[in-house]
Amino acid sequence: MAAGVAAWLPFARAAAIGWMPVASTPMPIPPQDKRKAQDGLIILNVSGTKFQTWRNTLERYPDTLLGSTERDFFFHEETNEYFFDRDPDIFRNILNFYRTGKLHYPRQECISAYDEELAFFGIIPEIIGDCCYEEYKDRRRENAERLQDDEDSEMNNDVTPVNLTFREYLWRAFENPHSSTLALVFYYVTGFFIAISVMANVVETVPCGFLPNRSKEVSCGERYALAFFCLDTACVMIFTVEYLLRLIAAPSRYKFMKSVMSVIDVVAIMPYYIGLVMTDNDQLSGAFVTLRVFRVFRIFKFSRHSAGLRILGYTLKSCASELGFLLFSLTMAIIIFATVMFYAEKGSPASKFTSIPAAFWYTIVTMTTLGYGDMVPKTIVGKVFGSICSLSGVLVIALPVPVIVSNFSRIYHQSQRAEKRRAQRASKEAGQALVAKPPSPPFESQHHHLLHCLEKTTNHEFVDEQTFQANCMEISAMHKSGSRSSSMSSSPHGLSSCCSRRHRKKSSFSLPSTNNQELSTIQIRERPVVNSRSCLNAKLDETVPLKCNEPFITPSMVSLSAPVVTSSGSDGSTTTTTAYSQSNIVRVSAL
Amino acid sequence: MKAKNRDQSLSDSRELDGSYDQLTDSVEDDFELSTVCHRPESMDKLQEQTKFTKKELQVLYRGFKNECPSGVVNEENFKTIYSQFFPQGDSSMYAHFLFEAFDTNKNGSVSFEDFVFGLSIILRGTVNDRLNWAFNLYDLNKDGCITKEEMLDIMRSIYDMMGKYTYPTMQDDAPRDHVESFFQKMDRNKDGVVTIDEFIESCKKDENIMQSMQLFDNVI
Repeated sequence: MAAGVAAWLPFARAAAIGWMPVASTPMPIPPQDKRKAQDGLIILNVSGTKFQTWRNTLERYPDTLLGSTERDFFFHEETNEYFFDRDPDIFRNILNFYRTGKLHYPRQECISAYDEELAFFGIIPEIIGDCCYEEYKDRRRENAERLQDDEDSEMNNDVTPVNLTFREYLWRAFENPHSSTLALVFYYVTGFFIAISVMANVVETVPCGFLPNRSKEVSCGERYALAFFCLDTACVMIFTVEYLLRLIAAPSRYKFMKSVMSVIDVVAIMPYYIGLVMTDNDQLSGAFVTLRVFRVFRIFKFSRHSAGLRILGYTLKSCASELGFLLFSLTMAIIIFATVMFYAEKGSPASKFTSIPAAFWYTIVTMTTLGYGDMVPKTIVGKVFGSICSLSGVLVIALPVPVIVSNFSRIYHQSQRAEKRRAQRASKEAGQALVAKPPSPPFESQHHHLLHCLEKTTNHEFVDEQTFQANCMEISAMHKSGSRSSSMSSSPHGLSSCCSRRHRKKSSFSLPSTNNQELSTIQIRERPVVNSRSCLNAKLDETVPLKCNEPFITPSMVSLSAPVVTSSGSDGSTTTTTAYSQSNIVRVSAL
Repeated sequence: MKAKNRDQSLSDSRELDGSYDQLTDSVEDDFELSTVCHRPESMDKLQEQTKFTKKELQVLYRGFKNECPSGVVNEENFKTIYSQFFPQGDSSMYAHFLFEAFDTNKNGSVSFEDFVFGLSIILRGTVNDRLNWAFNLYDLNKDGCITKEEMLDIMRSIYDMMGKYTYPTMQDDAPRDHVESFFQKMDRNKDGVVTIDEFIESCKKDENIMQSMQLFDNVI
């Protein structure tokens, strides 16, 4: 953006002719443009591929290699060109950055090669345009992960680092079974016991032959009650120990207890303990039996062992609205058809459709094309509506299901991408707070002169938001104290506000050399005001405390080189950075 | 089954579903390619008609073409470009007046020729030319005289560019006061309007204005 805007600056300055006849105060002196006839072509020879561009194009970004005097180190006198022994394909993107102000990342390039080139030419990757930024960050993350994996696999061969506390070590062992042999053993043992426990629950209901003194067949659970009880006890012991260990090792116990997996763990082992506590009380044994059903939740403990199960759970959760819609539409259809069938079959003798809720069962079985046949319509009207019901059932069920399936994959991928993008945006904005495109220095001084002319025309000055608030508060305070002679109080106020802003600016950003320049030359000038209008802070004898002017808002690259300061009463300037906040012009003292 | 055409079925579905899900929209809206491409006259001609040298014209055109590849600027673009120089305030009104002043043939767009002619007058013209151009800018209805209302509009637009955060705080009647003082200075015969002769005469008498006119000599 700076590139395009800089080219139109002469136009903006010419447009200021509209202010001149209106202004009542004299205009400030324009900055001298020393580098007038400097625009020539530069030849850049990158490993044999010649690129040419205007000198001005390169100098738009004076904090990079090509824009600063650093490129002189690469000047090849015999051929009168700048020679770089680097990759020409990647250089193309870098040169385009100077031309258009946007840095693109080509997808076919290797990320580390690209990063190296950027580092060589002094360009910070955060400037990459939005179109390519996501891709760039993705590739960078993959690369970092790959490097991390390499490091990890190296680390795994080493002795485990001793600087982990026992608690952290334990947690790591639980979360990552491959971190040590003990963890792996534990992982497999718990998996084995989950499987055993689930199978025991299943097998104990199988009929197992006859006991001598009973006529009915008994299930295995009753026949080998002791064996199953011992098995159950062993499994629950293991699960309890595991749960307690996880609880101890968890970095945030409260968070751990809230997590789904820990709830499943608790639900899996609770029935056993409740069963121990309860006696053989007839009233409670019914409830106890239902509790044993919860033992089947142990199967969900497998989700720690299987990533696919976790993914499935997550997608079901995220598709809740679609599933809800399916349920709702089905419910509507069921109610409609059940009502119709009930009234159709009402006349028939010995009809099974005794009530509308009873007809629900028929409707569900028919619409899902199950057709058990335990309830069938007998009247003709009933049969007609029954067939309509089964036909529409196919449609009602078949239509939303593919939508849900596609929603699954879409929502799943989208949520993955949205998470990525959110994380990227946060880090990108943080990065860009430090970095961005500076306009070229002569552009800055000319732009400041333009804004200064506007100030002179309107007899007002630009301030930033904080100072404005401070001014307003000061005005109201002054009103309260009823002081009319505000000239003396206003000028130190002006001084202090400028200074405070300077201090604030100094602490927020680091441009050390330029600050020194400013601080050393605080000039206090008196300037006569031709047309002193009465305003609230009546500065009758206008002592301009500091010849402040507002710097341009675009942030600058972090560098230690002082920006170009033009001479003779014009405005040198420096820039501060605020990530894209266009409402924050900070006043800075000038030479 | 009757084959509906795609647009018809698309609009049906859009009707039925109030909350049209943008995410599943795989149909791209037709975007109008602005195929207007205006090429300026040859550089020699422009050089005769304006007072710029060839090099200056080249620099100007390169900048112009960069921001407006189609070769013409419409008012929206114009305002956007101009607003980048005045981030704190609202420069759209003043940009509008500027656009009217640059667009001499009133066709709603500023071509490179218009642009360069305007700049030539401002940057390379005589003081009279410059004052004439400024008068033309102020005279919104181009009737040969500036009324107080016109001047008030212009003044407000200039003050708008300052934005809210100024020191001292911007008063609502600041533009009006300024207009009053302007008319006091310029309106010789006190008839409530400023004609071109009054304007030029008063400006020539004012040293500040004359001095500020010199500013434009070195812009390019």
